Amino acid sequence: MRKSTLLVLLMLVVLSFTAVSQVINIWIGGQVAELDETWNMIVGKFEKETGIKVEVQLFGFDIYYDKLLTALQAGQGPDLAFADLGGWVPTFAEKGWLAPMGSLLDSWDGTDEIWPNLWPTVLHNGERYGLPWYTDCRLLLYNQTMFDQAGLDRNNPPETWEEMVFQAVKLTDASKRVFGYGVSGTKTEHTTLAYIIFLYGAGGQLLTDDYSAAAFNTPEGLRALKFYTDLALTYGVSPNAVTYNEDDYRNMMAQNRVAMAVGGPWSFPLIETANPAIVNNYSVSIHPYGAAPASVLGGWALVIPSASKNKENAWELAKYLTSFDTWMTWIEAKGGPMPTRQDVCFAAPVLQDPKWKVIFDTFPHAVSRPPIPQYPQVSEQIQIMIQDVLLGKATPENAIKIAEANVNAILGK
Amino acid sequence: MSKIAREEKTAFRMILPYLLIIVLLFIFLIGSNIYNSFTTEEGKFTLQNYSSVFTDPVVGRAIINTGVWVLGSVIGQLLLGLLVALLLNESTRGQIIFRSIILILPWATLDIVAGVMWKWMYNDMYGVLNDVLVKLHIINDYIPWLGSENMAMMSVIIANIWKGFCLSGMFFLAGLQTISPELYEAAEIDGANSFKRFWRITIPQLKPVIMTTLMLTIIWTINYFPLIYIMTGGGPGYGTETVVTYIYKLGFRFLQFNKSAALSNILFIAIFAIAFVFLRNITKEEAR
Repeated sequence: MRKSTLLVLLMLVVLSFTAVSQVINIWIGGQVAELDETWNMIVGKFEKETGIKVEVQLFGFDIYYDKLLTALQAGQGPDLAFADLGGWVPTFAEKGWLAPMGSLLDSWDGTDEIWPNLWPTVLHNGERYGLPWYTDCRLLLYNQTMFDQAGLDRNNPPETWEEMVFQAVKLTDASKRVFGYGVSGTKTEHTTLAYIIFLYGAGGQLLTDDYSAAAFNTPEGLRALKFYTDLALTYGVSPNAVTYNEDDYRNMMAQNRVAMAVGGPWSFPLIETANPAIVNNYSVSIHPYGAAPASVLGGWALVIPSASKNKENAWELAKYLTSFDTWMTWIEAKGGPMPTRQDVCFAAPVLQDPKWKVIFDTFPHAVSRPPIPQYPQVSEQIQIMIQDVLLGKATPENAIKIAEANVNAILGK
Repeated sequence: MSKIAREEKTAFRMILPYLLIIVLLFIFLIGSNIYNSFTTEEGKFTLQNYSSVFTDPVVGRAIINTGVWVLGSVIGQLLLGLLVALLLNESTRGQIIFRSIILILPWATLDIVAGVMWKWMYNDMYGVLNDVLVKLHIINDYIPWLGSENMAMMSVIIANIWKGFCLSGMFFLAGLQTISPELYEAAEIDGANSFKRFWRITIPQLKPVIMTTLMLTIIWTINYFPLIYIMTGGGPGYGTETVVTYIYKLGFRFLQFNKSAALSNILFIAIFAIAFVFLRNITKEEAR
């Protein structure tokens, strides 16, 4: 009697283990982490079609990076995971934590539909390690009510740096703590992203084409640094730059305190939550530039960790999630974010709104952040450079020289 | 007697598995940290992690910052804690309510909540602190509290004093209540004024508690991470970068786990030395 009970128990254990190994785990981080029902609907359809069980785990952006990093480091990660296009994929690939996806991507017909300027973000040593899933690019977000009040045309935002300064000065009333443009200067990624927009907008570039050395200490790079910091220091059109970034400015914009700042498609729901009255009184346009239109892209890719025991099923899920039909369903339900598939961008009725048109027009000008493992350190040097100028600790000429030397030292290692 | 011992044995056996796991986990973590700090990414032996720690200019800056951060926070927390403990020791009526409100509240506030709250209070566009100070005509214009390196360090120290004084206050209050009132009565008869009574009775009697609290506060403050991380992220510049925020950054942002392990081992030895000195003095005092 007891023996047979034991046997049954043992069988149950074995069964449960085999059952567990059939389940694929997907980790979703970032903005989409709140959209639980939609995920369940989409994943439920996949389960029904293929018979593969999927375990979905959602994480808020703040904890996701640490969580994923710890799991990958320990070889205990999920079977499919979201990775930020801001340098995560090559960084993880360098550590050997990701499975290469090149041959899988070649065999799939959806690959050609992905916006081509996204591929560098998932490239490491010539191999692709991710499938970009959703994307975005940075734009100028502006408050139309404040434009009206300052006597400016609400449908005619600045296109060049000169126009931007002129309008920002008009919009600023420092005694009432109302400002024309928000300069991000915190020691966070936002500051680097803003500098990249100004740098490429001046015709410069951050690193050499092979990412082996700094390339921003040029007349263009200096012009961008000077102009960017002058907005706060000389023209006084920004709140205290060192303490704020674009997320703060978006909230201030919702309260009619800051008229222009860097934003993107993700800003729409957030600014409307902060102040529902702003719904028809804000818009986006391509960020003003000095020499050429520029933007920086971001987003998330699907990656398969090398420790996964279910790589084939994980790839099936990745393909399903990035298929035309799934994306159309998603957009219908959620209205965003921006798909990495061009065909969906131009076919989904919701995305034919003028704000989205601006985004699609800007996107081809968007550059990616250098997809190299040292990027976080490079980014920190850019942040220090801008803060040193903003705090008056160094002249732009000196700060850019120091940053160049430090970046070259980091890349030379 | 023997019955108690047997009960103790049973109790010990019951917690043994748990104890073993904790101890093994501790040994494993320390061991892997030491191993990591002496190896390259490929697993070969090297001293390069330690040499790179010592040549990194940010480490020097972080050590100085940690010194300022600990000194300011600990002095502030102990003084404020002592003051509040003395005040609370006087009043007996409604003590429990005061104790819970004044002493428990800041300490019981989550680190994250406290960090976000102080960040908003310091805000130079909407911050309540600036608003109150302007309305009291103490300052004329809003101050960017977190806007420069020195101001930011001062601001996080003030926030940390608020967050941490409660614990020293609790310790001191407990200590004060063990001092026999007869000592004060005798001193009063001998003609000692309240100032003298404080220096000659309260402080010497409280000394063991002060020493223990000092040690614990120093160690906790060195290791305390969330407040700085949330309020300034180590910025502006490297203004509030302490050793622990830099260890976190090295490991989790730059993925230099081995260098990060080396720096945390150095920090471990430093903290161990501090604890050792304190504990030796405390045991000496007790033996006397």
